[in-house]
Amino acid sequence: MNGAVPTTIIVAGLLLAGYALLMTALDKRMGGVLLAGLGVLEILLLVLVGLVVAKLADGSRPGSPATLIGYLVAMPFVPVAAGFWGAVERSRWGPAVIAVAGLVAAVLMVRLHEIWPVIRV
Amino acid sequence: MSEPTTSPEPAVPPETTVPPETTGPPETTAQPETTAQPETTAQPESTVPTGTAASPEAGDAQPESTRTGPGRVLVAIYALFALSASARAAVQIATKFSNAPVAYLLSAFAAVVYIIATVTLTNGSPTARRIAVVSCSIEFAGVLAVGTWSMADPASFPDATVWSGYGSGYGFVPLVLPVFGLLWLRYWARRSKRSRAQGPAAATRPPDQGRLPE
Repeated sequence: MNGAVPTTIIVAGLLLAGYALLMTALDKRMGGVLLAGLGVLEILLLVLVGLVVAKLADGSRPGSPATLIGYLVAMPFVPVAAGFWGAVERSRWGPAVIAVAGLVAAVLMVRLHEIWPVIRV
Repeated sequence: MSEPTTSPEPAVPPETTVPPETTGPPETTAQPETTAQPETTAQPESTVPTGTAASPEAGDAQPESTRTGPGRVLVAIYALFALSASARAAVQIATKFSNAPVAYLLSAFAAVVYIIATVTLTNGSPTARRIAVVSCSIEFAGVLAVGTWSMADPASFPDATVWSGYGSGYGFVPLVLPVFGLLWLRYWARRSKRSRAQGPAAATRPPDQGRLPE
């Protein structure tokens, strides 16, 4: 499994976080660009979940399968939950929530690699 | 996103609907900020914590609750830690408890503290804020104690907890988070004290300024 998708997720997450923090600094509310960015992040995460599940279906196993499965289940909820929680906030702090989600997505890729080194970044 | 039709305020646009428990009780009909009543000067601009009063676009309203404004970010991070610490503790205790019982029990304790902080900061009532102060204080003391313990006696921690090394495995967020939590709660304690001094109408529920008139 090559590292293209996790690397893309890290880059996308950091870009999204940077843009969102800029919006917070400029005192802007949630906007379409942030929601679109979350959508892209969500698709990338779902693709990655599919790739990892395919790897598991091949028969190989990480050291702690329960932890990996927990990550696979929880990961796709990060952009969804952040999108909801950010959208109900009508101030600059909505984008700040999106920034957290972007950073979390990037950190999750590093964690996934630690849990299962097969997942390269 | 739920249907907005149950909201008591008909003027609320659909995207601003909040979970049902957030709609203030009807008896706390705070004065709308448009009616300038000189005796209740409840909106001094100095109370805006982040100095956003200059922009009429977004940030000029005071947060309505501990869960709004900067509290959104706090609640999001607390929820993340509540989820990850609980899941991690559950996996550790279920699969390999005998390896590092101290570390895993501390993980579970940290998970409980994070859950309490998430729930109380989301709720935001005066009682919830008091509980949140206690749990954030315990959290801060726990990070310092476990961090020091894990440095002084690494043998007790063959596997890491959230608070090992002062939260170094989590970018020191566990060390910083309770500080911001307590600062946020102190802002709310002062604000509610000020409101009580100015009159009972705005004591616990500040004016509902988050919903800007269109």
